[in-house]
Amino acid sequence: MSATQVARPLLLGPTLGRTSLVLVSGLGLLAAVSLAAVAFGTTGVGPGDAAAIIGHRLLGVGTVTWPASSETIVWELRLPRVAAGMIVGAGLACAGAVFQALLRNPLADPYIIGTAAGASLGAVSALLLPAILPVAVGAWLGIGLVQLLAFAGGLGAVVVVFGVARGHAGTPVIALLLAGYAVSSLLAACVALMMFLSGDRLGAVVSWLLGSLGGASWTRLALAAPLIVGSFGILLLRWRKLNALLLGEQQAAHLGVDLEREKRLLTALAALATSAGVAISGTIGFVGLVVPHLLRLAFGPDHRLLLPAAMVYGAALLVLADLGARLAGGIPVGVVTALIGAPFFLWLLRRSLVVHGR
Amino acid sequence: MALHRPRLAPLLVALCLAITACGSPATGTDPPGGPPTPTATPTAATDPPAPIFPLTLTDDAGREVTLAAEPQRIVSLAPSNTEIVCALGACDRLVGVTDFDDHPPEVTEIEPVVIAASVDVERVVAAEPDLVIAAGNEQTPTSVIEQIEDLGLLVLVLYPETLEGVYADIELVGRALGRPEAANEVVGDMEARVDAVLEAVEGADPPLTLYEVFHSEGTTYTAGEGSFLASILELAGAEPLTGDAQGLLGAEDLVAADPELILLGTASYDPALADPDTARSTVAGRTGWSELRAVRDGRVVPYLEDIVTTRPGPRIVEGLEALARAIHPDRFE
Amino acid sequence: MAAEARDAPAIRLTDVAAGYRGSAGDRSVLDGVDLEVRGGELVAVLGANGSGKTTLLRLLAGVLAPSRGTVELYGRPLGAWTRGELARSVAVLPQSMELPDGFRVSEVVALGRIPHGRRWFGADIEDARAVADALRDAGAEDLAHRPVGELSGGERQRVLVALALAQEPQLLLLDEPTLHLDLAHQIALVRLLERLRRSRRVTVVAVLHDLNLAAVFADRALLVHDARVVPAGRDDLAIDPLLARRAFGVAIEEALTADGRVVLTPAVTRPMNEPPAS
Repeated sequence: MSATQVARPLLLGPTLGRTSLVLVSGLGLLAAVSLAAVAFGTTGVGPGDAAAIIGHRLLGVGTVTWPASSETIVWELRLPRVAAGMIVGAGLACAGAVFQALLRNPLADPYIIGTAAGASLGAVSALLLPAILPVAVGAWLGIGLVQLLAFAGGLGAVVVVFGVARGHAGTPVIALLLAGYAVSSLLAACVALMMFLSGDRLGAVVSWLLGSLGGASWTRLALAAPLIVGSFGILLLRWRKLNALLLGEQQAAHLGVDLEREKRLLTALAALATSAGVAISGTIGFVGLVVPHLLRLAFGPDHRLLLPAAMVYGAALLVLADLGARLAGGIPVGVVTALIGAPFFLWLLRRSLVVHGR
Repeated sequence: MALHRPRLAPLLVALCLAITACGSPATGTDPPGGPPTPTATPTAATDPPAPIFPLTLTDDAGREVTLAAEPQRIVSLAPSNTEIVCALGACDRLVGVTDFDDHPPEVTEIEPVVIAASVDVERVVAAEPDLVIAAGNEQTPTSVIEQIEDLGLLVLVLYPETLEGVYADIELVGRALGRPEAANEVVGDMEARVDAVLEAVEGADPPLTLYEVFHSEGTTYTAGEGSFLASILELAGAEPLTGDAQGLLGAEDLVAADPELILLGTASYDPALADPDTARSTVAGRTGWSELRAVRDGRVVPYLEDIVTTRPGPRIVEGLEALARAIHPDRFE
Repeated sequence: MAAEARDAPAIRLTDVAAGYRGSAGDRSVLDGVDLEVRGGELVAVLGANGSGKTTLLRLLAGVLAPSRGTVELYGRPLGAWTRGELARSVAVLPQSMELPDGFRVSEVVALGRIPHGRRWFGADIEDARAVADALRDAGAEDLAHRPVGELSGGERQRVLVALALAQEPQLLLLDEPTLHLDLAHQIALVRLLERLRRSRRVTVVAVLHDLNLAAVFADRALLVHDARVVPAGRDDLAIDPLLARRAFGVAIEEALTADGRVVLTPAVTRPMNEPPAS
């Protein structure tokens, strides 16, 4: 053995140093994108004013030289929107990474076991309810009936899928995938029927389904953020189990993973983060699918780096997409993420075929 | 009454302006020659005028809206609302409109806050309005209305379902803007013109009329059952062939009903249908349509006034007049 | 370890029955198995396809619960072991395993340290040492920095062995480890297992399909047949040809090598080197 081979240290996974570098770069990107998103919008409130307003609100520095409307725009409109973009983007990317590991399927995204379909059914029901019942469907606890039912629908669908997929010997991954597909299709059909019957409210329904961060407010974030961030905390600590799953279920069991418990826990946490995100912003696509893949390509499949990186870069992507969506005339952010995500996905696929031949 | 009003109106308006306790330049000044004589109005300026504001109104969505002072900066979220505000003489108070607004011509100079039917809340806030006039029935989404309200702005929701509803909305906005007399005048004008139309078509046999709102690949949208458009068609002397609540009319139902007259509202947007002969042949070419009475008798009329006919604002009377002329041309020679 | 545990055999099965739930009800693959393996032994498990060899391994690995009887490892019944304890003591080398793309060999081997994971984030000195030792003992040191996607079949096998060794197990279970290997690599693996037994004092139970290989390297051979596990040998013979014939259902021939060893071959009517009848 040559001297250089002996000297080279063994790589056991991403080092703290490398992880920090990746995350700090990501946070830098996130900060830059967020600043741009707060500094620019469809009106003339620019970076200077925005900075001054934030400085004043947070630190009490500076004298008020701007109109109240500018302060409202920056503090009540742009800032919550950016915060929502961060949290939802992080949640979707993280949940996507978890489902891709758990289900060992590269096409898995946060919605694969029914969250999107269930949340859509809940939200559309809430949107159409006023047409049927003369109920005062005003804000409930400041959240809104749509958000509440979307959240409940998302979680409910996952519970149903899990129940359907359970067998004698646990919950096979293939059963989860198939049950997820079937339940999603059924719920999507119900949503389609409701859209047909929605009449004048069709616009509101379509708007929700395409996804938007426009409805973000501090109240909604105050309720959704703890759920999403809480899920993050627990998921980050489970990196060893997720890494073990990379070797397949049998081997993961031999390495000490309690498969059934892990499936339930990981699914619950990822579904929680996803449903909370969908409740704020509707069903935004591609972030949960593409971000983990790109990061895996760039940094490897080890979850101790992949999960936090997914959070940071997912957040940055969504904030950037929302800025683009706003400046492009208020188009739904889901359209922008699809426009960014689909070509990237095609590129990933081509690259995989070319490099690996499979 | 209708004949006398136009002469009294300017004096009434001037009096109202004189007694309104609002110092904004938009409300105008005393008419030249000093305040008008007390005989022009029963309520002489002997008692101090009751302050009009603060004022609590109930809008078309049943919401109570309290205006602390006369609004000077108005954002309109629908073209019909814009037209109402301008008809009341308050066009100069508009600081935000939709990009679809086109009447009166000067509103195209105002910054739009609604782009491509999507409300940009940031622009609404930047316009610093003291009143936002929205459209009901989800034309302005409820979530957007709630969001604007949560930001501390006042929102008035209008949703007229009949012609009377339009009058009520004009009067409501008139009160909200401190211009009730202007509202009365506008409504009076409208009522006069409507009466004239009703007189003209009185006794005429109402033909079963299909008003085509939209048609594509065998799907026809017409006036919905019990809709605003259906009521206008009735006033214009037609028996409207209505679809379901959304206005959807199945091909079978259309053929079974066999309308006598077809008004192509789509011709307002499709130049190919503006020519009567082209319109007739296009319509005749649709599956099942060639056997309709209206097509065989050649009563397929390109209708070019769709905008005013479907915009529930002050110009709806123009729509009514155009409809009546199209349905009973012999009554309007 | 306590005194009794030290004396206890590595593996003890007492009247064990195990099977699977199928569409036609419960199916017992193994029934009435009594078995003991002492620490440090190298045991080969033989049997026809479907005889229950893999079921036996799964019982020993603790992933399959017996429907009757007890399975004891190092004096403790399986039920008394936690998953973590089991993963730190027993390592399984499956027939084949997909190695995740994007990892280097040393990272994959480091996955074997998962049961021992202590730090909230990374690997510690112990882990690094264990991985280095595992790579060395498995003969995979030169592969450490290679991406796993580039490995050949034999190289992958060595990496899988290293992965198992990184767990620092006392018991190593192998399921047909020579299945995809050529002759040279088969011998190499067998030699490796012998070395391991000496250097690490592991107990090795390996399911093999090659009778002679088993006869050569194992301390003893077990035969899984008729839902029972019986010693494969008789007297001085590592493998009794009559027993083998019954278990495999083919005629077995004995032959003597130049140095007097007995080898067993399936009896075929026409040997390879005899010309065809003309």
